[in-house]
Amino acid sequence: MKMLKSKADLVSKAIKKADIYCAAAVYEIANTNERNDLECLMFSKRRDALSLARWEHTPASVLQALSENVLRNSDIANVDSAILTRIEKNPNTPSLALSQHYKSEKYKKQKLSFIALVAEHQNTPLQILESIARFENDIEGLKSLSRNISANASVLTILVSRIPNIFDKNVAAHPSASANLLELIYARGNAYTRAAIIGHKNCPLCLVESAEQNGDLPLLMLRQLAKDERLSKNTLIKLSSNIDSVVRYGIACNLATPKAVLSSLSHDSSAAVRRAIASRFDLTITSIIVLMKDKDVWVRQWLARNLRVPKKLLEQLAQDKHADVRRAVARNPRCPIVVLDLLAQDESAWVRSAVAYQKKTPRRLMQLLAGDTNIDVLSGVANNHHTPQKILQKLALSAEEDIRRGVIINLNATRKTMLPLLEDSYYLHRLMLIKKPQLNQKDIWRLCDDPDFQVRFMAFRHIAHKLLVNSAQE
Amino acid sequence: MKILVAVKQVAALDEDFEIRADKKDVEEDFLLYDLNEWDDFSLEEAMKIKESTDTEVEVVVVSVGPDRVDESLRKCLAKGADRAIRVWDDAIEGSDSIVISRILAEVAKKEMPDMVFAGVQSSDQAFSATGISTAAYLNWPHAAVVADLQYKLGSSSAMIRRELEGGMLQEVEINCPAVLTIQLGINKPRYASLRGIKQAAAKPIEEVALSDIGLSAADVGAGSSMSRVRRMYIPAKGRAQMIEGTIAEQATKLIQIINEFKGA
Repeated sequence: MKMLKSKADLVSKAIKKADIYCAAAVYEIANTNERNDLECLMFSKRRDALSLARWEHTPASVLQALSENVLRNSDIANVDSAILTRIEKNPNTPSLALSQHYKSEKYKKQKLSFIALVAEHQNTPLQILESIARFENDIEGLKSLSRNISANASVLTILVSRIPNIFDKNVAAHPSASANLLELIYARGNAYTRAAIIGHKNCPLCLVESAEQNGDLPLLMLRQLAKDERLSKNTLIKLSSNIDSVVRYGIACNLATPKAVLSSLSHDSSAAVRRAIASRFDLTITSIIVLMKDKDVWVRQWLARNLRVPKKLLEQLAQDKHADVRRAVARNPRCPIVVLDLLAQDESAWVRSAVAYQKKTPRRLMQLLAGDTNIDVLSGVANNHHTPQKILQKLALSAEEDIRRGVIINLNATRKTMLPLLEDSYYLHRLMLIKKPQLNQKDIWRLCDDPDFQVRFMAFRHIAHKLLVNSAQE
Repeated sequence: MKILVAVKQVAALDEDFEIRADKKDVEEDFLLYDLNEWDDFSLEEAMKIKESTDTEVEVVVVSVGPDRVDESLRKCLAKGADRAIRVWDDAIEGSDSIVISRILAEVAKKEMPDMVFAGVQSSDQAFSATGISTAAYLNWPHAAVVADLQYKLGSSSAMIRRELEGGMLQEVEINCPAVLTIQLGINKPRYASLRGIKQAAAKPIEEVALSDIGLSAADVGAGSSMSRVRRMYIPAKGRAQMIEGTIAEQATKLIQIINEFKGA
């Protein structure tokens, strides 16, 4: 296939291919006349229109055009609700199409079922969400709205003020719920709602302080309260000896917890609490020494990954009888080379694999690990930017998909190393190559004739995007 | 040496679809066609036998279906099958799996393979009958749900392991030629290479008419079938409850339900 240089050339090529996915890929760069031809190609068969309406990669501009096409070419009686439903479920659908659906008179009779879809779509514009909150009565639709993360504090306030109680629990967990709104809901909520509010990032300080002073707080709320960084030192100390391990776990995770409390929690009877301590970025040497001897493998594993652990102690953990702990040492960004040397010869392939993935592992060790026969180890070698190019070229021809994928991911792999992978039998690998900066436009152009429709789409789209950027710069 | 692999192009559905006006199937616009998943494994098993020896082994894929089935047959050719046969006549429309088996058996009689492989079932209709009925028409031994196959070319028998309930395997020696229905997971099916795909595009697909295999329109179709679809529908939704509330509340309710079921 001859290399193309202009947008018109690319669009014309896509039309000639008579492939709906190539057509969808170039729609954005097409002019009005070309768009008409592309729409004819993409939407004239219902089967194709249904496929594009559902496909997760269909560009927003194509979904917009399809939506307008359906609304324009149908009347109230025969509107194609199957296509419209798929458009409303598609995460790429733009806000304009969603607004048009909501306002359309054409399927007002069927609108009830669409409200929930419009109300839950993350691209629905705020004014439509606000209108749904203010005027709609369909409870399922309003529930969808109360869970939509695009709804802001104002929309949520309208909703819970107009219809109290029903949506309180969803709003209590909604990230956009304001402090005022949470306070309002807290006053009328049960323990579950209150617990969710106490755990909310916008929970007002007055509620935290009031809960802190409540000596009879339900356990659910106490568990949330324990994680709050605004708690007083006294409360943190008090809760660290609570009978409930989940409350103590919250204290172990709390960044405000005093160091002395953390030291005492290093001896906690609950492994979950000790694991939380072992994973803290502000771990003290006293806790490290205690946790080194912990019976729980996960505690030692978290410790082995922790950047606070001194190199000498990492060397000790590298001798652990459990492979998972040794693997965690190998994954630690501060792992000394001398330890990596040792772990590269570990009896467990899972440990050697971690060495192969470790960014610090030197070239000489990568050469050693390249002689391994285990797929996980070789995948790590293929991924590692210290692996010599000759080895990468050999691994690019491996029979194992995971190993070849490692080469594709490797930022150090050269164009020459990657070229054979353009012929890879696994379509996902060819798809991944499209965005690799090592490959040039000519290489990607080869994929425009790929047998897999997703690869063709991505290749056309990539070139279309490049042409769009180039024309904007001219 | 020849292995005949019976394959089917199956229809998959998305979550939303419409039922046809005659209520006997799904509206075609909503169907996505692809090669039956089980057939990928049976083709791979045939390819493994072909590639394990220097003796010439011909892998022939056969399917019963209209023009669109060529796409699935080309996929098999791209993966290394030597020949592809498609049997079709409009009269075949409406045939049940037993009639399809009869057609396949007639193709097998003509091709005279040493083994016939089929998938345990098709993902769209799930009768699990085609392979076994083909064996009956051929009067050959058969084994269903084959999870492991040890077969040497030219041997008068093969050793197979059949997958049973409870994770059990049944080891069986079977006389050959035989019809085996192959289970998922018996091997790791390959992806077709780009070269294979290009070569497959140029390979011919042998179109076989009913008369070529000694059958007539009267032998096939709904009229000659032992079963007929009366209607297809989505049953009324059963007892289901959406658990609502905060995350902690949902977890508590879930524990309550589990305890109720356990009688705790």
